This record gives sequence, structure tokens and C-alpha cells, in this order.
Amino acid sequence: MDGANAAMFGLEWWEAFVGGICTIAIFSFLYRENPFYRFFEHLYIGIATGIGVMATINTFLWPTVFKPMVDGERIPFPDGTFAEPYNSMYMLYLIPIAFGSLYYFILSRKYNWIAQIVIGFTLGYGGGLAFKATFNEMLPQLEDSFRPLYVAQQTAQDAAVGIDWLATFSNVVFIFTLITALSYFFFTFKRSEGGVTEKSALAGRWMMMGCFGAFFGATIMARMALLVERLEFLINKWFTLFIA
Amino acid sequence: MSSPSSQGGVSLSDRLERIDRRFVYLLIALALALPIIFGWKLPPAEMETADAFFAVVDELKPEHGKLVLIASDWGPGTQAENKPQTMIAMEHLMRKRVPFGLISITPYAAPFLESMPRDLKAKLEAEAPGETWTYGTDWINFGYRPGFVIMIQGLAKATDLHDVLKTDVSGTPLADLPIMKGVHTIRNIAMLMEFTGLVSAFNFWVQFFQADGYKPPFVHGCTSITIPEAYIYYVSKQIVGLYEGVAGAAWYENLLSKKYPERESGTALKINTSLAVAHVVIIALMILGNVGYLISRRSR
Repeated sequence: MDGANAAMFGLEWWEAFVGGICTIAIFSFLYRENPFYRFFEHLYIGIATGIGVMATINTFLWPTVFKPMVDGERIPFPDGTFAEPYNSMYMLYLIPIAFGSLYYFILSRKYNWIAQIVIGFTLGYGGGLAFKATFNEMLPQLEDSFRPLYVAQQTAQDAAVGIDWLATFSNVVFIFTLITALSYFFFTFKRSEGGVTEKSALAGRWMMMGCFGAFFGATIMARMALLVERLEFLINKWFTLFIA
Repeated sequence: MSSPSSQGGVSLSDRLERIDRRFVYLLIALALALPIIFGWKLPPAEMETADAFFAVVDELKPEHGKLVLIASDWGPGTQAENKPQTMIAMEHLMRKRVPFGLISITPYAAPFLESMPRDLKAKLEAEAPGETWTYGTDWINFGYRPGFVIMIQGLAKATDLHDVLKTDVSGTPLADLPIMKGVHTIRNIAMLMEFTGLVSAFNFWVQFFQADGYKPPFVHGCTSITIPEAYIYYVSKQIVGLYEGVAGAAWYENLLSKKYPERESGTALKINTSLAVAHVVIIALMILGNVGYLISRRSR
């Protein structure tokens, strides 16, 4: 929607107008803490929670679980018959629903042990999934870490013609970083002062510092990107509401 | 860290070290706003990761019974980076007439799943009169699907996706939509595109969207904050293309504009230019702060 083209006091106009007020209210915190900011912060949290709940009900619980159970999914013909017979097996959904609902016993001091059954179940399947997830995610990375310290330059016919200096240097840095960073996390034996393990751990710490620097730089860039989107909205949509 | 000068006045180093943070905020806001106000556009930096993304998408061909799945797991919080990324990838697919399905494990993405392809449809149809892009044939919206890992694993293991997903976002049975004809299992997913600011959401897709020894080619768009982590997956070839924040999308936009010279540029380039100007200001402020610190140390 372009602010300048939004019909005065139409739905789109109000959307942009309220959006601008909310944005300015949240940014007012940059000047100092104030009740205007607090109010909109709580409003935002409330709306975000409400959207989450309603989206789950509308897109999952009702169409996938409750609607088939209450027979709302079948298409009725004008003569009162249905396109398909009612499937009473949908009522089996009540079993996992009842089991999951036991979680709410966590609110009772006397019966909160019942909730622990559900928590235990969740931990069990969570653990199983995590096991699989770790293998699926980490194995390719582990495999990739076995890199040659000499990379040959190749012709189009796959014939080696000397050394590929850039790839070799890249692999040497990679292996050095991997080994030194890992050695930093060896806490099971005493590092001799001035020994190889101590120096390696120190080098590992410096390498990680470089990584944290990259993270910090990336964080600044991300925060700026969020701000520029809001400024773009204020300049191109919100201010134009008043100019138009 | 700083101390008043021995003469009782305020020295230059003190002034440099005591710049009011609100003045810094104002300066940054101005640096970001000026390119938007004056419409400046700086050329984006070349990115190998976005080049790879472009190459794999450009190789795709419209095939019956094949679909690109776009997991758009972001909301208003990271739309500044993830929206231009998703839009530019989607635009490339639409121009190539490669059918795609939109899905999200984040509820806040739902309105964007609806509006983004429709905005692109309007843009492309205005650009090429006579050509049309149709919902149900060129794209489908599966909407927000709760369940995170369970949902993703359910999709990957499904013997028939029609049974798992059942309907599109508006309740139309999948069997009634031409785009879903022949699309039944993960093997019919030609490529997975995932855009998010959440590392966990990206990890779920990496970990669980595979079955029977088949993993669709996976490309990813991350926010700037998660670039160092996402890069690990690119280097280990778990993903075959990557947008490094909005800068990656800006470079992709540049590539797309070269391929389709008639196209009107999107928002990625604008945001990227503002960021570049703001980064110069930040670097200048850091240098000023450090100069102030060094002067005060020397005068002590």
C-alpha cells in the first residue's frame, strides 16, 4: 500500500496511521523510558500472543482435529445424504488430547505429579528426535572437516597442475582453527605452563575472538536492517499520509 | 574511563568519549534515512553464496509433478531482511514459471504468505501484458502449519502429502488444485528454500526434511545476525546457496536485473544502500571513540 494513494480514513489509511504511531511509541524508548513506550510494548506482546493462539486454532486445531470429529468436514447433498459416511475413528483423537491436557495439572500442588507423565513423554520423544537431528546435522559437517592440506590445481580434464595456493591456505587456516579451538575446551588435564596445549588453547581463544567479532559485526548489520525497514515505512508511507 | 582535565574544563578526549548516546542514535537514523529520502542506490557487493543460489534456481525447469517448497519462517520482526529475500527468490521462480508452494512454521508469517505472491503477480502482469500467473497453477499457499519438528518430519515421511496437508490455506482440497497433481512425496519436491531469522527453524529443516536417502537441494536466506552460523552449512554443502542477509538479496536482485533488464528493482537494493551509509557512520564513530580513548590515556 502506498500511503499517498490510501483513501483518507479508509482501512489502509488507518493501518498505516496506527502502524506509524506504534513504531514511534516503541522508538521513544531510545530517548528514555516512558509510559507511552510501556503501553505499546505490552500491547505488542498481547497481540503477538493472541495471533499465535488464534492461528493455531484456525489453521490446525479446528480444521484438522475438531472439525472432522464433530462431522463438519463432510459435504452434504440437498437430499440430506453425505458425500462420504461419517468416520467415527476421528474420535480417537480424544485420547492424545486427553493425555496432553494432563499437562495442566502442573497448576495443582496436590496433583502436579500427573503433569510429569506428560513432561516425561515429551522429554522421551524430544531425546529421540535430538539424537537423530544431531546425526543428520553434524555428520556432514564432521565429514567436511577432513580436508587435505595440499590442494592441487586441476585442469578441465582433471589433471593436476601444481598447487592451488588459495584453497590450500584456506584449508590450513580451517584445520588450524578447528584443532586450536577444540584444544581450548580440553579441561580434563592440567596444561603445562608454556607447553604445546597451553599455546594451542591460547591460539584457539584468539581464533574464537575473531569469530565473535564476526558475530558482533553481523549483529550490528541485522539491527540496522530492522531499523531501516521501519524508517522506510515512516518516510514512504506514514509521513505521506499527512502530505496527501 | 575518562577524567576531567586538570585545568577544570572539558578536554576534547572527554567530549569524544562522552558523546550522548541519543546523538549517536540520531546520527544513525539520519544515515539510514537519507538514502531512502533521496533515492540513492549503491552497487551491491558481489557474493559467491548468492551467485550459487542464483545458479541453482536458474537451472530449475517447470516440470509436471514437481514443486519448489518455500518455507517462509519469519514475521514482522525480521521482515526487513527476510521479506526482500523471499520476494526475490519467488520472483525468479515466477519468471521461470517454476511452480512453488509456500509454508510456514511461524504463525506471524501467514499474512505475508498471502500478500507476497499476489504483489509479485501484479508486478509481473503489469510488466508483461497478456501473461498471467494463477493461484493453484503457479503457486499454492499451505499456510501456517504448527508442530515444528513433528510437522517437518511428517512432510518428509509422508507417503502422500495430500493426506498430511489435506487442504490449502483457504480450505480447498489439494486434489482440486492443478499444481498438486503428481506431487505426493518428498521426492516431488524439486528444491527447498528456507527463509528465517531463527536458527532453530533452519536447523529443523536441515535435520528432518529428508527421507529414503533423498534430500532435495536446499537453499537458505538468513538474517545478518546468523550469517556466521549459516555459512558453516554452506561450506559443508548442506545448503547449496545462501542469502547473507539483505546484502545477499541485493546482489541476487542485481543478477536478476541483468537477466531480465525490463524488471523494476525491488527493496533489497534500497535497504542495502542505507546499511552501507550507516556502516560508514558506525566505523567513523568507532574510530572517534578510540581516538578519544587514546588521547585520554596519553594525557593521564
